[in-house]
Amino acid sequence: MHQAIRLLARATAVIGGLVLTGLVLLTTVSIIGRSANKWLHSDFAERTLGDLARTLIDSGIGEVNGNYELLEAGIAFAIFSFFPICQLSRAHATVDIFTSQLPGAANRALAAFWEVALTAALILISVQLFGGVQRYYGNGETTFFLQFPVWWAYSASFAASVVTCIVALWCAYLRVAESLTGRALMPQE
Amino acid sequence: MSRLELGFWSFAVLLGMIFLRAPIGLAMLLCGFGGWYYAMNGNPVPLLAKLKSETYTTFSSYSLSIIPMFLLMGQFATLSGLSSALFKAAESFLGHRRGGVAMAAVGACAGFGAICGSSLATAATMSRVALPELRRYGYSGGFSTATLAAGGTLGILIPPSVILVIYAIITEQNIAKLFLAAFIPGILAALGYMLTISVYVRLFPKSAGTRPPVPMADRWKALGATWPVLVIFAVVVGGIYLGWFTPTEGSAIGAMGTGLVALLSGSLNWPVFRDSLLGTARTTAMIFFIVLGAAFYNGFLALSGVPQFMADWVLTQGFSPWLVLSIILVFYLIFGCLMDSLSMILLTVPIFFPVISAMDFGMSPEHVAIWFGILVLIVVEVGLITPPVGMNLFIINAMDRETPMTETYKAVMFFVGSDILRVVILVMFPAITLFLLPG
Amino acid sequence: APLAAQEVTLTMHQFLPPQANVPKLVLDVWADNVEKDSGGRIKVDRYPSMQLGGSPPELMDQAIDGVADIVWTVVGYTPGRYPSTEVFELPFMMTNARAASRAYWEMFETHMKDTEFKDVHILGTWVHGPGLIHANKEVRAPSDMEGLKIRGGSRLANALLSKVGATPVGMPVPAVPEGLSKGVIDGTTIPWEVTAALKIPELVTNHTEFTGNALYVLTFVLAMNKDRYEGLPDDLKKVIDDNSGLEFSVFAGGTQADSDGPAREAAVARGNNIVTLDEAETAEWKAVAQPIYDEWVAEMNEKGIDGQALIDEARMLIDKYTE
Ligand code: NA
Ligand code: NA
Repeated sequence: MHQAIRLLARATAVIGGLVLTGLVLLTTVSIIGRSANKWLHSDFAERTLGDLARTLIDSGIGEVNGNYELLEAGIAFAIFSFFPICQLSRAHATVDIFTSQLPGAANRALAAFWEVALTAALILISVQLFGGVQRYYGNGETTFFLQFPVWWAYSASFAASVVTCIVALWCAYLRVAESLTGRALMPQE
Repeated sequence: MSRLELGFWSFAVLLGMIFLRAPIGLAMLLCGFGGWYYAMNGNPVPLLAKLKSETYTTFSSYSLSIIPMFLLMGQFATLSGLSSALFKAAESFLGHRRGGVAMAAVGACAGFGAICGSSLATAATMSRVALPELRRYGYSGGFSTATLAAGGTLGILIPPSVILVIYAIITEQNIAKLFLAAFIPGILAALGYMLTISVYVRLFPKSAGTRPPVPMADRWKALGATWPVLVIFAVVVGGIYLGWFTPTEGSAIGAMGTGLVALLSGSLNWPVFRDSLLGTARTTAMIFFIVLGAAFYNGFLALSGVPQFMADWVLTQGFSPWLVLSIILVFYLIFGCLMDSLSMILLTVPIFFPVISAMDFGMSPEHVAIWFGILVLIVVEVGLITPPVGMNLFIINAMDRETPMTETYKAVMFFVGSDILRVVILVMFPAITLFLLPG
Repeated sequence: APLAAQEVTLTMHQFLPPQANVPKLVLDVWADNVEKDSGGRIKVDRYPSMQLGGSPPELMDQAIDGVADIVWTVVGYTPGRYPSTEVFELPFMMTNARAASRAYWEMFETHMKDTEFKDVHILGTWVHGPGLIHANKEVRAPSDMEGLKIRGGSRLANALLSKVGATPVGMPVPAVPEGLSKGVIDGTTIPWEVTAALKIPELVTNHTEFTGNALYVLTFVLAMNKDRYEGLPDDLKKVIDDNSGLEFSVFAGGTQADSDGPAREAAVARGNNIVTLDEAETAEWKAVAQPIYDEWVAEMNEKGIDGQALIDEARMLIDKYTE
């Protein structure tokens, strides 16, 4: 079971990472297009290229239309996709100094308690995010430039947040079991 | 209970949860939830409604997307071999001096900081490269780990810097100007650490070994191998400053550039690429969970009126601006011993910034905001290396299991001393920070 | 005499800093009047700069759900949700902010109150003064816009920019000065009033005004949570009512437009090149804009709204109220 959950979390993070890489490419292409467009409009380009400059501009060389909106939608999805691996690796920031003196059982109980609370919060976030999908599905709101429905972007993020919930539930289960049995069950990443 | 009282109580609860080892983002989120719930007299609708869109809009931020991109850039820079090239170059010039290998590690950290936005990544990356070398030349365990922990903070002090991005967004300041202002203090930090090293090896001569000098020709060759770092730094930070592109676009260009260098160096195969994505994913999610918690908690704090109350209170006391600034910086130093820097920035800047910007330091409001930002950046970064809780110390000790934590603690206090001295100088002479800024 | 006990605290949330024109000259005035007229029984807590969290497009939902009691927002931040308001955002519709705000309120009451805005209690509807072009080169003919990167204010302003061959760039208003000074954009479309705070006349020296109808405007609403409004005692409800509606809308639009004059004078004083296109030149632009009307009517028809009827009515009302 743990192997399956681990695979799920890693696969989701890699998909999010590929989206992030795609956004890096998109942004770079957009900047290059914008600079090229600016240059083609210059007097120098007109003198040296003549009609070619015009043709190139008309062929659509320029900033990627709506790159700003694609970045915003994509980055939200990527970040939601990064949560499962963070959860599984226990990468969240904590302050250990005051609890380090406590006996092992107390520390395991605390770990289990916070893992359950965290899972509950993540599930609440996910459920309400679905409420967001429904809200924007119903009200017809679109983005500014590309005018794609806002609920598309919400749905992608919601899908990733469902994976987060699954991974979080599994981690919470392991932490509670660790606390009850006193044995380490969660493999180190 | 009034909203104001509720706001003050929420502090106590928040700190209680954090000290009981709650994930910091979760503690802020829960206090934010609770705060909104009670402030709305037990009506859950507004809170639930906020949750429908605010998680999404917090994450889909154009300006914050700079963070995963800078993190990805750092990952690529690591696997493209730039980190070892930097260390080799610095080491060939400095290595034969007393404490020279440690100085080289600091220099390499500064170089890596110029293409990496995170302290933890800088500390971890440079430790992997420099720790074995330091040990080989007979540097003592605690001195080596302390040097790298301190050097790691240059990752944030030298632009680009994730923390400065966050500060710029909270305070609505210009990211390019903050990056520019961070430059001289960052260089001063690196020089200060090198000075600290030379003092340390004179006090404890046994803590460092020596090695013969490297021929001059080899030094220049080693330096030449670091050119991609220079080019990427110049394009990213220069381009952002000159307005060729926005900071977010700059971070994308930087990730692209380091990615290309990694690709050309032949080290970018699928497993390596996948691991750099996973590394980016973990840190990004960790940061954004805190950002999310802070968004909810700070929204509630504003509703409670605590920041306004604090600012009004400080102003009516008639304290001198310099006293208030000093108190705030000392507060950061103390809390920095316990908490991580990002959480502190997100938690406290919305409260302290209105206080500081309402005071007269004899500078324009923008200059005050930038200067304060750099000071805060430095004091929270000191927190990364102050015992007992210092993220950089933890990371490096995890990589060097042989050195006991107490050894690192002892040696790192020298670097903390150099940090505090630098803060005092920068407080007394704001012109150092503002020197590069126009007008 | 002892002050009357404070009964109701309303939160007012919006996206601009407190010293900006609209918060200072419109929203604070409204809030102060409400506090005064209620004899201190209503207190309006003001939260500028999105302090309560969220992003500007979420403001409307914050009012609907009661996250904030009152919000001020740009209707165009939520494209597609309040399509009828866009009739005022079409190019070359309005001339005078008072007249257009009056027409907007009337049409809000007849067409939008119980349909698009049924989930929220609207306190005022207005538009800003005539929007114009500020650019780093002189713009006279539509073809002068060719290749320029311009920040447009709204969906329809962007449509117009595309029609004249410019590239509409999306950036938040506070980013405009930076964008202009670094050449990321070549110009922006905003009313004079906003240029002062953004120091536009120092960054670009060419301004293009139109004769007759203005290039574009944005539509605003001041919106209140419905339950919160209906839960007020009748006498306090009356205080809110007396300060809201038609008169307030005209005041808000007019006040905002009144700030245009001094801002324009500042640009004149700097010796900037202010081009005022005459009617014939403006007509050239109107001709380019014409397809936007047709496209908009088609879009509205798809949504089951008679777009042409809205245009006709808005034109008629605007003409009627414009002296
Ligand atoms: Na850096
Ligand atoms: Na610390």
